[in-house]
This record gives sequence, C-alpha cells and structure tokens, in this order.
Amino acid sequence: MAANMTHQNSITRRQLLSRTGCGFGMLGLAGLLQDEGLLESGLQTSAMADDNLAARALNPLAPQDSHFPAKAKRVIWVFVNGGPSHVDTWNYRPELTKWNGKSIREFDPEFKDTTGFFKNAVGNLMQSPFKFAPRGECGKMVPEIFPHLGEHVDRMAFILSGHTESNNHSPALFAMNTGLPRMGFPCVGSWVNYGLGSESRNLPGFVVMSDPKGRGLPKGSAANWSAGFLPGVYQGTWLKPTGEAIDNLVRPASVSAVAQRNELDLLKQLNNLHHEHYQAEGELAARIESFELAYRMQSSAPEALDIASEPKHIQDLYGINDDRCDHFAKQCLVARRMVERGVRFVQIYSGGMENQRSWDGHADIEGNHRQFAGETDRPVAGLLSDLADRGMLEDTLVIWCGEFGRLPIAQTGAKPGRDHNPHCFCAWMAGGGIKGGVDYGASDEIGYKAADNKVHINDLHATILHLLGMDHERLTYKYNGRRFRLTDVAGHVIQDILS
Amino acid sequence: MKADAISCLKNRWRWINFSVLLCATACLKIHADERQAPATTSSPKAISADHAERVKQGTDLFRNDVRKILVTHCLDCHGGKSVKADFDLSTHEALLGSGYVGDTADDSQLVQLISHVAEPHMPLKADKLPAEAIESIRRWINLGAQYDKPLVDGKVERSKAAMQVTNDDRRFWSFQKLKAVAVPNVDHVEWCRTPIDRFVLDKQETAGILPNSVADKRTLIRRATFDVLGLPATDAEVQQFTMDKDSSAWENVVDRLLQSPHYGERWARHWMDVARFAESHGYEQDYDRPHAYHYRDFLIKAFNSDLPFDQFVQWQLAGDEVAPNNPLAMMATGFLGAGAFPTQLTEAEFESARYDELDDIVTTTGVAFLGLSVGCARCHDHKFDPIPSLDYYRMAATFTSTIRSEIELDLDPEANLQRQQTWAVRLSELQTDLKAFEETQVPKQFAAWLPGYNTSDVISDWETLNVLEISATNGSTFESQGDGSWLAVGDTPNKDTLTITAASRGHIAKSLRLEVLTHDSLPQKGPGRAPNGNFAMGDIKVEAQPRGTTDAASDSVKLASAVATHQQNTDSLSVAASIDHDPVSGWAVDAGGIGKDQAAVFEFSKAVNTEQVPSAPGVRWTITLALQHPNPKHAIGRFRLSVGSKADLPASVGSTGTDPAISAALEQAKLTGNRSSVAWKCAEAWFATSLPEWQAKHNALSEHQAKGPQLQMAKVMVSSEGLPKMSHHADGRGFPHFYPQTYVLTRGDVHQKQAVATAGFLQVLTPDMTDVATWHVARPTEDSRTSFRRATLANWMTDADKGAGSLVARVIVNRVWQHHFGRGLVASPNDFGVSGDRPTHPELLDWLANDLIEHGWQLKRLHRLIMTSSVYLQSAEHDEGRADIDGENRLLWRWTPRRLEAEAVRDSMLAVSGKLDRTMYGPGTLDLNMTRRSVYFFIKRSQLIPMMMLFDWPEQLVSIGQRSTTTIAPQALMFMNSSQGRAYATAFAAQLPIDSTEAGVTEAFRLAFARLPSGQEMQLLSKFVEQQSELYGQQGSGNGRTAALVDLCQTLMSMNEFVYIE
Repeated sequence: MAANMTHQNSITRRQLLSRTGCGFGMLGLAGLLQDEGLLESGLQTSAMADDNLAARALNPLAPQDSHFPAKAKRVIWVFVNGGPSHVDTWNYRPELTKWNGKSIREFDPEFKDTTGFFKNAVGNLMQSPFKFAPRGECGKMVPEIFPHLGEHVDRMAFILSGHTESNNHSPALFAMNTGLPRMGFPCVGSWVNYGLGSESRNLPGFVVMSDPKGRGLPKGSAANWSAGFLPGVYQGTWLKPTGEAIDNLVRPASVSAVAQRNELDLLKQLNNLHHEHYQAEGELAARIESFELAYRMQSSAPEALDIASEPKHIQDLYGINDDRCDHFAKQCLVARRMVERGVRFVQIYSGGMENQRSWDGHADIEGNHRQFAGETDRPVAGLLSDLADRGMLEDTLVIWCGEFGRLPIAQTGAKPGRDHNPHCFCAWMAGGGIKGGVDYGASDEIGYKAADNKVHINDLHATILHLLGMDHERLTYKYNGRRFRLTDVAGHVIQDILS
Repeated sequence: MKADAISCLKNRWRWINFSVLLCATACLKIHADERQAPATTSSPKAISADHAERVKQGTDLFRNDVRKILVTHCLDCHGGKSVKADFDLSTHEALLGSGYVGDTADDSQLVQLISHVAEPHMPLKADKLPAEAIESIRRWINLGAQYDKPLVDGKVERSKAAMQVTNDDRRFWSFQKLKAVAVPNVDHVEWCRTPIDRFVLDKQETAGILPNSVADKRTLIRRATFDVLGLPATDAEVQQFTMDKDSSAWENVVDRLLQSPHYGERWARHWMDVARFAESHGYEQDYDRPHAYHYRDFLIKAFNSDLPFDQFVQWQLAGDEVAPNNPLAMMATGFLGAGAFPTQLTEAEFESARYDELDDIVTTTGVAFLGLSVGCARCHDHKFDPIPSLDYYRMAATFTSTIRSEIELDLDPEANLQRQQTWAVRLSELQTDLKAFEETQVPKQFAAWLPGYNTSDVISDWETLNVLEISATNGSTFESQGDGSWLAVGDTPNKDTLTITAASRGHIAKSLRLEVLTHDSLPQKGPGRAPNGNFAMGDIKVEAQPRGTTDAASDSVKLASAVATHQQNTDSLSVAASIDHDPVSGWAVDAGGIGKDQAAVFEFSKAVNTEQVPSAPGVRWTITLALQHPNPKHAIGRFRLSVGSKADLPASVGSTGTDPAISAALEQAKLTGNRSSVAWKCAEAWFATSLPEWQAKHNALSEHQAKGPQLQMAKVMVSSEGLPKMSHHADGRGFPHFYPQTYVLTRGDVHQKQAVATAGFLQVLTPDMTDVATWHVARPTEDSRTSFRRATLANWMTDADKGAGSLVARVIVNRVWQHHFGRGLVASPNDFGVSGDRPTHPELLDWLANDLIEHGWQLKRLHRLIMTSSVYLQSAEHDEGRADIDGENRLLWRWTPRRLEAEAVRDSMLAVSGKLDRTMYGPGTLDLNMTRRSVYFFIKRSQLIPMMMLFDWPEQLVSIGQRSTTTIAPQALMFMNSSQGRAYATAFAAQLPIDSTEAGVTEAFRLAFARLPSGQEMQLLSKFVEQQSELYGQQGSGNGRTAALVDLCQTLMSMNEFVYIE
C-alpha cells in the first residue's frame, strides 16, 4: 500500500482521465465510477498515509484503506448524555454500602467544600439506590434498571477507570467527542470519515440523532459533531428530531416530480453547453453531477429513515410502541438501517440538556436514572440482538459512554442527587473486535477516582480508531502549520479488551 | 439552558452537515491549509505528532533508569572527571554533538560499543553492562536521548535555554526587510500594461510559455464586478462598457467599481474571515454580543474610505489609544474581542480561560497581520519558525489588561456638537433670565414682604429638627438634602449606632417623629440600606435639654407608645419593638413598605416643656438609633426628625414646616434688617422660591438642564483597558476578566508559572541591535486609563523600516492578490513562515509591497494596479501544452475560473431577482428571509446561517485566510428545493414578459447573465417553457405559463455560469 501511494499521489487529473479514457466531460463522474468499482486504479488513496487531501480532490469521501485490517467497519455510539453515574450503572461498588452515610473526608481528607459545581450541597457518601445482581456467564453485577442490557453483558467490555478533563458539561462533551475540551476541533465521527471515507453513495457517512422529546440538544450543540478544521464534508449530519429530518430534501409543493425532472434535464443540457467552453474545470462537471445525486437523495434518504417498513417483530424487539422507550427505539432502529446502508458512524444522544432533561441527576439520582435507563435499556438491547442476528455485530462497534461520571457522595436536596465527577466514569463497548464479558481498570473502592489502569479519553479514542483499523498516531491532518491528531500527543490502545 | 434556547434549536441544523450526503461524486477543490502539505514540501526535519509524548517518556526513562547507568559506568571518563575519546555525555547537547549517538539505537555507535559489537568494548576493561541496561539505553536513544538535567552539576544545557533568534533566522525570505526591486525586462513587452505584467511574463518566458490574450469585454466587466462588489454586472453596465470606445474605458470601470459603497461590503467580509468575527460568545450558552456589529460597520467604512492599511492595523490593535476621539478607531478594537469565549466557568477554570482568551488574541493578531502562527509557541518554542515561547508571552503580555467593554460612543460628532451648542445657547439664555429676575425683582419684593412675616405662620403640627451633628459608631456619613432630611452616603456598615444632636425652637414637644424616606441612590430606593431596601431599628432613645442652658443636664425622655405608617410585622419587626428592651428587635418595613416613604411617631410619657426656662430658645435633642440587627446592612438610608407639639398626632409623612434653618434666617433677617448678612441672603433666596414668576423661570431652566443636549450615542462593543467589563455568565462566580500579570507558562499550563512576561516584540522581526524604544509609546500620565502597550505593538507592527511592517505589507498584498486571482502569490495566506508556501513571484510580491508603502498604504491603488494589468485581463482559455508545463497555473498564463463565495451566490440571486435590499450598516439578523446583502447576517456561533454554511462559510472560530470550495449535493438541493431559492426564482420570473416565450427567455438571459441566449439555448428553453406550461396547465394549477417561467428562472440561477466567475 505504502509503496503504491507514492505513485498514486503523482497522478494528475489529466493522467487520470486519459487512463479512464473518458475525456474531460466525464471528470466529475470519476468519483462515482470509483465508488461503483468501475475505476480500476489510480484513485484509491489513503488519508492516513498522507494527509494531503489534494490526492482525494475528486471525492473526499471515497472509501480508504485502513492502516491495518479492521475488526470493526462502523460505529454506533449511544451517547449517554449528561454524565451517567458509574456507581449506579456499570461500576458496582459494594464497599460503598459500608461507607454509606460517612463523610467523604474520611476517605479523602483533601476533599473540598464543594462538589465541584455546587457549593453547600456536599452530602455524605451514598450507596446506590439500585439492587445489583450477577448476569451472564461472566457474572457481571448489573443494576436492576438494565434488565434487557443485562442479557448482553457477555458481549460487552466494561471500562471502569475512565477519567476526563472538565467537570463542566460542554467542555467535557467536547473532550469526549474531539479529545480537547474546547470548541473547534474535529470530532471522532469526522476523523473516522476522514480516515476511512464513506461506504454509502447516497447517505451521509456520519449521522447524529438528538433527543426527540423536546429536551434540547446536548450542551455545546452542533460543535459536538463538528468537523472542526477538517473540510466540511466530514461534519456530522444532524437528523432533525422533528419536521424534515434533512433540509431541502422535499420538493416545493408547487413542483411535481415530472416538472423537477424536466428542470434538471434542462439544467444538465445548459450546463453541458457551458462546459464545452470550460472543459478543463473539473468542478464544473462535478457540479453537474451533484444535481443528479441530489435528485437521487430525495428518495434514498427517506427510504433509510422509513422504519415503518420494518416487520413487527423487529419493531417489538427495539421497543417501538412501548411508550417509555418508543422514541429511542426508533432512533436505534434508524441507526441500524443507516449502518446497513453504509453509514460509517452514528451517534445517538440519550437525553437533551442538563438536569432532569438528561442523565444529569443532580436531584433525585434514583428517579433520574430509572427514567433514562428505562428509555434506553430495551432499545439498545434490541439493537445488539438485531445486529447479532444479522451477523453485523461482529464488525459493528457499539459504544455506551457519556461525558463524565458522578460523585459517590450525595448532592443534598429534597431527593439526593449526585454531582459531576471528571475523575471517574464508566463505559462499555460491544461488537467488532471487542472481547466480551470483561472489566477493564478499576476505580477506588467508593468510585471517587479512577485508580487501576486508568483510561483517559485519548486512550478511548485510540482504541476506537484501532478497532477501525487505524493507528491513532498516523491519522493526522495538517492545519495552520501543525499536524493534528484526534489523540493530540497521547493515547494508548487498550489491548486487554480486544478480542 | 434557557427556554429561549429551545427556539433556537430549530435553526441549528447546518446545511454543511448535509454535505456528507454526497458520497459518490462530490468534488472537493481544496484551497485550505492542507494544500501546502506535504508530500512535496521539503520542510525542516519533521516533528512527529507524538513528539511531546516521546519526550516525556524519554525523560522519564532517563530519570528512572538511564541516568544511574551512565553515572555509574560511564561518566567518570566521559564528562565527569575527564573526557576520553572526545566523548562527553554530561549534557544532552554534548552527547548529541559527540557523533556517537545517531537518530536511532540502530545507528548508534554508542550502542555498538556497549553491546560489544564494535571495539573498543565499553565500559573499558569492565564487565559488559547487563542486558536490561543496554536495552534501556537503546530505548532511551530511540526516544531522542532526553535528559531531565545535566549529569554534572553546574553544567548548563544550552539547548534547554530559550531559543536564540539569530540573523540567520532573519534571512528567511518573509522576515527580510523589503528592498527595492527592479522591474524585469521581457521579450514580449507589447503584452505588458503594468509592471505587474513584466514580473509575471518574465517567469513565463523563462518557463517557455506565453499568457492568454485579453478576454472579451462582457467577461471582463462581469469578472471585475464580482471581484470588487460581489454582485453581477447589470446588462446596462455591460452594454455601456461594450460600447465605450474611450481608451480609458476599462480604467473608468475599475474606478467606478472601487467607488461603489458595495466594495466595502464585499472586502469587509473577506477581512471578517481573517478576524474570526462573530457576534456571540460561543460555547454552550452562546450569548449574543448585540453591539459587536459596529466592527463590521468600521470595516465597511474603512475599505470604502480607503483607510491607509497601516492605520487599519493600528486601529484594530489600539484604536482606543492612538485615536480615542475617533469613533471608527474605537469600533476597530472590536477585532481583539471578536473571538469565542466560554461564559460558563467554574473557579478552577478562570485563569486558564483568561490565558485561552489571550491566546485567541495573540494567535489571531499573529496570523491576520503577520501571517505567522505565533500561537504555536504557547507551549514551547515554535517548531518551525524562529519564534521562542518567550516572544509569544511577550505579545500576550501586551494584551494583559485588555477586555471587552460596551460603551456609549458618539458616532456622529458633528451633529452632536451642533446639539450641544444649541443646548448651551438656550441654557445661557435661561440662566441670564433667572439671574436678572433674582437681581432686580426679588430684593424689592422681599424687602416689602418681610415686615409682614410672622414666625408662627410657618409652624405646623411638626417642627423639623435642625440637625447639628450626627455621629456613627461605624463611620456612616450623611448629607443634608435641604429639606431637613439626611441621606446616608458611602459604604454601608453591617451594624451601626447613630447619635444625632439636633435643635427645635418650640417650647412644647409631645412626641418625636422619625421619617425614613426613599431616595434613588438607595437599594430598591430604600428607605433602608439593605440590598432589599429594608432597615431594622432595634432601639431609639431620646434625651432633651433646654437650649442656651449649659448647666442643665440632659433628661432622658421616656417613650410611651409608638405607631408607624407601616411595619413589617406585629412582633419582632414592629415599631413597638423599637422601644422594648431588646436592642435587636425593632421597626422594619419589608412586606409592602419598601420603596415608599415611612414614618413612626413616638409619643412621650411626659411633654418636654421649656416655657419655664424663658432664656431658652427651644430644646436641644440627643437621639440615639441602634441599628444592630444580625442581618447585615440593615441601616437607615435617609431620615428626618421632627417633634410634635400636639398629642395623638397620627403617623404620617410630610406636612413639616419650613426648614428650621430657614425659619431661623427669616427671624434673624427681620430682627436685624441687615441686608448684607448671610441670614438675609438666605431668607431672600428662600422667599424667591415662593414667587410664581421665579418658579416658572426656574422650572424652565431645570427642565432644560434635565433634558440635556440629547446627544445621540450608540452602544458599541470595544476592546480596551480600564473600562467597565462587558458582563457575562461567569461574573456570577466572580470571574475577574483579567489578571494584572501575564506569566510565562511552562507548556502553556497555568499551574507552571515562570517569570512575569513583559510586553515586547517578535525578535525575528526586530533587527539585531535595534533600540526597541523606537516604538515605545509612554503612558501620557501615570494614571492614564490604558497602558499604551498595544499602541506600542501597533507602532512596531506598521514600521516598515525597522519593525514588522515589511511583512505586514507582504501579507496584505498577498490577501488582495488572492481575492482577485483565487490564489495568492503565497498560496498559504495565513502562513508566511517556514512551513508555509514560498511565493511563486517573490520579486513581484515585494515590488507590490514597496509600492503599497510608498503610496501611503492605500489598497484602492493596489486593486487598480492589479485590475488594469494584462495578467488580470486574460481570458480563461485553457491550453494542453501550457498546462503540461504548469498545470496549476502558478505562472498565471490564464485566468482560472472559480466559484463565487457563499455571500456572492446568495447576493447574486437576490440582485437578479430584483429583491436585493441595498441598505447598508447596522445590526444584522438571523432571519433567513431577509433580503439585505449576506454580510448583514448576524453571526451567531451556535446558529450559523445554513445557506452560508452550505457554501463553505467559516466556523468563525479561528482566522481563515482562504475558504475551501466544496461542491456538494446539498448545495444542489438548496437550488432545487429551498423556499428561498424558489422565492427568488418567483421574483425573477415576475420581471419577465409573459406573452412571448422568446421575449421571456431573452429577458431572463439579459437579467441573469447580461447576454443574449445562443440559438441552441433559445431552442432548448423555448421547448422547456412550452413543455412546463403544458404540464402545469394539465395539473390545473393556475397559469401554467407563470409557473413555467419560475422553473425557467430557477434553472438559470442553478447554472454553472451563474455561480462561476469567468
């Protein structure tokens, strides 16, 4: 591959055309032909071997070879938004029961008078309000709020020692998505599409779904799926939860399909006449073709979103029509249909903004987590089952992770909650390349801080890229005089959870 | 998040997201920074992306392992006691300089020697090192042979010292001072119109190619109009130019365009990209900056008035210091504060957030004016350019106390001067009028009135006490309000006790009244000084003593009962509680009494009567008020004391008699008849106020004064020092906005502070031995509001002789060139450093930069030079042969067509549809249906305008020197399906004749392209109109022909010809 690269990079546009024998008029179709496998050679390049996108000018989303064979081809990330409490979900801390009611200063005298965000709200250490029971062959202790996900623990690798930079929602969300707690950097989905291209002709390579129950967008909104300094083509496509999922996909009411087809035929003819004078301008031809693709997209995108066409048993599997989780079930099913059609990276946000609108259980951690677990447990479990049944789970990576964890102490109030905790969070991954039924890393006995085999966000990102066949140190992009990476200057692949 | 945010969400979707939908045939023409990347660039030794991590690992390994091995086995002979074999490993530098250590362990002679692969085996005459030790050294060398410190104390690691900037560094092409450049001689001199042409042709001739000839006139005027105005040339303009046989016809077109106010709108937008300008804070709250738009107005005016570019730079950095009285210069400082800032911060993030903010300013300043990535030196010396980290912090220190402020500015000083003068004239008239009345009429009338004055006339139920002294245990101070009342001023103590000495003239007093009064200066208008306007008077004590008697002791006056206009409750906060024995419980007035005047009356058990003391002219009172409530600051804001001569007076406010001081003056004036006495003057002045004529004149004057000159001021967001900070969300937690010192930080980490940084310049752009005092602007006075550090920086920046001016001129010339040709002479407009592109025509760039400076930094002259050159006038004709030699047209042998930017696409659609609203200036809007030019979209960072994003609008987070130009299917969807696109097409069609297809098509082409359709086009379009008319007719949807023409217009606006500059 590497040897080949040098050669391919030197191919000029004209050489390419003479090789494909199509002449200038077909220039804009080169990317399409390549996609269809009709272009034998010359175009297949790799962003990772060389971050010079000029070599991919004809089609920046053309599929790229990975650095090494990939275990996972695509990703579905259930973003558990708001900061789920690790000690009440996947990081069972039996010792916390013993510590229940004691001051955290007995455990850590350094602890200050603030929970980090709230002053005057420091409660005592608080055990989980949920019952835990062993599930699966691995015997993972699972809280009662995940009855369906508990079925899948033998497929999951649990990271129990995650830690991050900020205890503030938006910086932490940016950090989890881009590696840096600031605005303006490319998110994981953008890096993955930049690195691997897209396998779909008519759908986005990177799709984001947000809360459809009117609880808003995750904090920091669209910056969470921004391409940052990468070209805009790698940005996440946000499916609007209400109204038209994608802007301008629907013809104006006054224009019939036939009328529009006539318009496009005319446009093509006029543009071709114009193009005769400017045959050297490749983008003119590409633009001609872009109208044809847009025309096709008008039907292909709605088709991918059409979950009503799914059989009833599949709908039931996800929990569609179950009031509690119907909305999330639909999004999970859309996610499956998307990846099935070649979408590379899907992110679904559970919950919207802060407090009771997401997993941000400042008040009443028990009620909050029962609610959001209830909204997602059956749909995500259904997704795992469905992917497995279709043989897709083996090369689809499913991630459950939020922006940070929560403190083991109570945040005082009418019903006790828990405040943000950047020192420890938990996550699980399942599917492509993941060893099932294992725990990785550990927090201290009360779940205050990550202790053994600590996993930084950079490590998590390095591992995700690794599963997709990419070396996080080699996936770079030069911008304003510097080569940037998703993992900045750090990151280690978590080898122990790889199958 | 707030509820209003929810409504924002529906627009948050960005069209660009959609771009990913195009997977098969998208054509990305990369213009952005990565273009300069790599495969071919022979940049300096590449720094691996994991460099920092490797250094860390290497240093750890050294500290934990390798140091001990080297010290134990090697150091004695190699740098410790002696240096054998010229091999010194006492410092990192000496080791690397020895030649014994290669880039990797495999190339390392040292490893060969200690592995006993090569002779002499080391350590000499000793055992071979353990395998683990050798492996450690191998790994350590592979990680770059890092040291944490030298092995021998006292040795200095020179390479660890700050980067030295040398004259060698200053010899890099862009850092050199501009020198005179000779215009080259060329063979085909007949092609050349300007010196530019000779430079360009010279390179072409060397490469063996020749340029294109001149394009046709219609193409030229369309090209120039898009370039300069961002709008299509109208048919009439095209016709006029085509017919104009004058030899200066083209120059006239160029001049006309440069005079158009739309020029400023177009070129301001180019600079807004560079300045990362937006009108909201960004991050999760993304609050608006509603007064930031003045910066955009400044840019438009600056370009239109051809503000010299050096001044343009100076004003953006320090307009508030160099031209504080010029509102445009103040508006220009919006540049510094235009960056994103996270307003939701916790205390732990305050300081790093401020350093991030300084970083945004330094980075943008460096890139925008100098084309240098100064920001890369935040964590360490710059990897490629000779910019030490220290230089970064010196520049950051320049902005130490610079913050965003919102101030009132006079944007139209002339009109305001007029207003001020008119007002002052009238003021003077009114004052003269009143004065004349007081000097002529009042004395006469007063002298006539006084004899009839009777003291008892002014005695009411209440006699206001004449306060002689107020003492406060905690230092409260009071000011007389002229009506017998006293207002607390200054800091409010948490607790206080007031002792008031006062006098009354009457002989009988049966009760004491305490009025607590409102005032605008008090919290919630008072009457108390607590934040909620309340007070709490725990206790009141009264003593009385006949006046004029010095020997008589004060008698304590027992208070029998108390009533009040309002009391907070009937218990511990009642007025009765003020005369109980508890000094804490007492009268308070919350629960309905805040913001209103209140009064309490304390009835005496026994009347105070001094009738028996004939010599006593009244009573001297000592009244003590205890304000000891545990709730802090529950003091009284304004009070008045009076005594009542009757029993059972109700608690009420007001109805006091004359101010006791006046009564005394009247009495004395009458008694002495001395017209020059103070008492007489005082009494006369009081008398005047009772005259209706005086009142009328006085009211007219007061009203005029109160109205003021009514100067028209605008609120403007500026960046300056010492002005009130622009408040935001983090203020609630006490964010300080700036810290008095900027420190040099290790690795950019606020927890690793080194020395305090002092403001300074980039050494590489400051010739050796230059006296930096050349640029220094001293603070005019010690207490001047700003530090003049920015004015100093601006001086250096624009000094083409000794400072950074040569580079500043090169950078702006290149930006202007780039926007005319689609590519700069330097293809990396924001990077003129070592890893940026080299200029294709360095001599031309310098010649133009010199010309710019020599002619007063005027950009319009530069535009004109460029646009009248043969290079600019070339046709776009392509040629295989020349393309073989120069496929990318770096040598400029043809005009390269390019797509219009987002704004120009939309503005052209609006212009052609006849809907364009050409109103200039003022606040922008988020309304997608607005019809002003796109530069007037409000730039909200979380809600970027979808249609703009679709066509590669920047994210407005960092400086962008050149936008990318993507061609993606969602753009096509916009033309096909968007409601705006359809609306523009409908308006366009409404301008067409409807009866004749041929006439309609002809007119449509005239409007859209300023040309006639070709025969082939006419045939296609006529057929289309007939076909669509029939189709719509069959559908029965109104007039089929009207709808067909809308389709026709929509199609024309979707054409490549519509969105490409040829």
